[in-house]
Amino acid sequence: MGKEPVRVLVTGAAGQIGYALVPMIARGVMLGPDQPVILHMLDIPPAAEALNGVKMELVDAAFPLLKGVVATTDVVEGCTGVNIAIMVGGFPRKEGMERKDVMSKNVSIYKSQASALEQHAAANCKVLVVANPANTNALILKEFAPSIPEKNITCLTRLDHNRALGQISERLNVQVSDVKNAIIWGNHSSTQYPDVNHATVKTPSGEKPVRELVADDAWLHGEFIATVQQRGAAIIKARKLSSALSAASSACDHIRDWVLGTPEGTWVSMGVYSDGSYNVPSGLIYSFPVTCRNGEWTIVQGLSIDELSRKKLDLTAEELTEEKALAYSCLS
Amino acid sequence: MLEGLDSFEKKSTRNCVFISLVFEKMEYLVLLQNGLVVLLTIAFSWKLITYMWGSLKMEKEPMKVLVTGAAGQIGYAIAPMIARGIMLGPDQPVILHLLDIAPAAEALKGVKMELLDAAFPLLKEVHATTDVTEACKDVNIAIMLGGFPRKEGMERKDMMSKNVPIYKEQASALEEHAASDCKVLVVANPANTNALILKEFAPSIPEKNITCLTRLDHNRALSQIAERLKVYVTDVKNVIIWGNHSSSQYPDANHATVATTNGERPVKELDTNDHWLKNEFINTVQQRGAAIIKARKASSALSAASAACDHMHDWVLGTPKGTWVSMGVYSDGSYEIPKDIIYSFPVKCEKGKWSIVKGLKIDEFSRAKMDATAKDLIDEKEVAHSCLN
Repeated sequence: MGKEPVRVLVTGAAGQIGYALVPMIARGVMLGPDQPVILHMLDIPPAAEALNGVKMELVDAAFPLLKGVVATTDVVEGCTGVNIAIMVGGFPRKEGMERKDVMSKNVSIYKSQASALEQHAAANCKVLVVANPANTNALILKEFAPSIPEKNITCLTRLDHNRALGQISERLNVQVSDVKNAIIWGNHSSTQYPDVNHATVKTPSGEKPVRELVADDAWLHGEFIATVQQRGAAIIKARKLSSALSAASSACDHIRDWVLGTPEGTWVSMGVYSDGSYNVPSGLIYSFPVTCRNGEWTIVQGLSIDELSRKKLDLTAEELTEEKALAYSCLS
Repeated sequence: MLEGLDSFEKKSTRNCVFISLVFEKMEYLVLLQNGLVVLLTIAFSWKLITYMWGSLKMEKEPMKVLVTGAAGQIGYAIAPMIARGIMLGPDQPVILHLLDIAPAAEALKGVKMELLDAAFPLLKEVHATTDVTEACKDVNIAIMLGGFPRKEGMERKDMMSKNVPIYKEQASALEEHAASDCKVLVVANPANTNALILKEFAPSIPEKNITCLTRLDHNRALSQIAERLKVYVTDVKNVIIWGNHSSSQYPDANHATVATTNGERPVKELDTNDHWLKNEFINTVQQRGAAIIKARKASSALSAASAACDHMHDWVLGTPKGTWVSMGVYSDGSYEIPKDIIYSFPVKCEKGKWSIVKGLKIDEFSRAKMDATAKDLIDEKEVAHSCLN
């Protein structure tokens, strides 16, 4: 008749990204047009009314694939039986806040959510952390949910990946769907390294390297990187709000490719638990190029890394190591 | 065979046989050759045909979709839905035209940036502008979200006087610059009357092409029944929203059905509490907008955007068999509703055209409600026209 519904948890669901994300999930953008879903929406008590409003709207939209909605402020109820968890909730950085302050607030949140997920989520639950600092929040989650397979805990760098593709497509005046295989290395922060050394563009005469077509290494090593790194700030400047639409859309892409597989010959960027590939320290959540198949991601191995890239890969790894130390200091 | 012949005859016969054999062989060879040529031609033509077919099937021509008021809440919700193919189908490329007023230019730019950042495969171009002419150019579909919102303490006349000039201006722009056969959906309130003004000031746009959104109320009605009967919303169909997208709308479940294990049954039969259908159900649907505002401290954007996609999707791609939907359309006098207003009726859609479902029985209760909302629309029309003088 129809597939069994999949339970998808969205934390921080009453916020901006949640509001953009839930209709996408309910329409099948995340898991496919034939996959029924049951949404679990979680937020903190001050947001309970707003959360109920979102639930009402989801009901009002009469989505064919949406088989149920659970709107709750109780983390146990939120996590029970979920197959997919999108962690949008976190403590946002306020003006004047030090990094340590943001870190300490988020570390406690992710520690408690880790326990709840470990105890109540379905086996093999796939987790995507979006809330910043995404990589380190994901790392804390991993460390306090030891029975969740480490391969199942990831963070979002697909937004930066998609931004990189968009910038190249604008530069070359081609369709974004003709550009592929950019890489975002490292931390979803301003030290991320957007790398198009292995990216290609589909042309009438076959696939050509981006580097060759752009023919402007200075731009690729300078403005291109800066634009992608700082795009989040540019959106805030224009909208007076942070990117919700594109973040939500990228979260859907991240999960969809993870669950349904990447297209042949294409890789994507995901923040995943490092196994030491490319001389990146293990024990961090670090963004790598990955392909996905049968619900599992695999790091693309054997890509050549030039000197410039090496420096950048190491710089962002360093930042992540520092963040990890800072996070741990908050736990003591 | 050759025994009874003399040597010359033998030779010539042998030669003849030889030659005929050669000829036979040649015939075979020619046959073979011809055969090969035919085969090769077929193979080549096949490759040519499949290549041409492949490049024909490559991609549809993009459709141009205008969204006015695109920097606002509903715009932010609807833009990714359109870009993902929810409005026009997963294989229909789109070009988005986003329009808003000058004060919103920066925010509009931010939306355009995000649409680029999302790397949507179907989104071929985005034009973000504050110039109405540029925005309307060659558009096939126009979703009018922009309008003057009702502020606290505003009278109906005030709201009308602000919106009438907006829709008059946009009517001219659409008429002059949109593609012929452009399909228009007005969402901004007062939706029905804004659509009517648009129709009156764009006389060369076919009147059938100007509609307003009542699909949101229709979807709300379906889900209220689904909740009441504890079924999935996909099992409920054929409610009707009659009239004005306002508190005078009439949500009618008299002809609605539910899919059960015993086949399709009328909703009325399964929910014997006529009282609920005639009272609470109607009130809940009529006032749902206010309930959302109370909970969210903002009006419904997510569900409005989704319903707008449904409205346009079904209009362009057709309603499922046996199912109708509600659309605010130019009244032709059906069901004794006055002509010359935009009134929500039950419609089916096929080949890009809607048609009112005829012949449904209207009881006394319904008749009164349908007339009340028609009167509401006549009143609005008068207020709107008075603003034009």
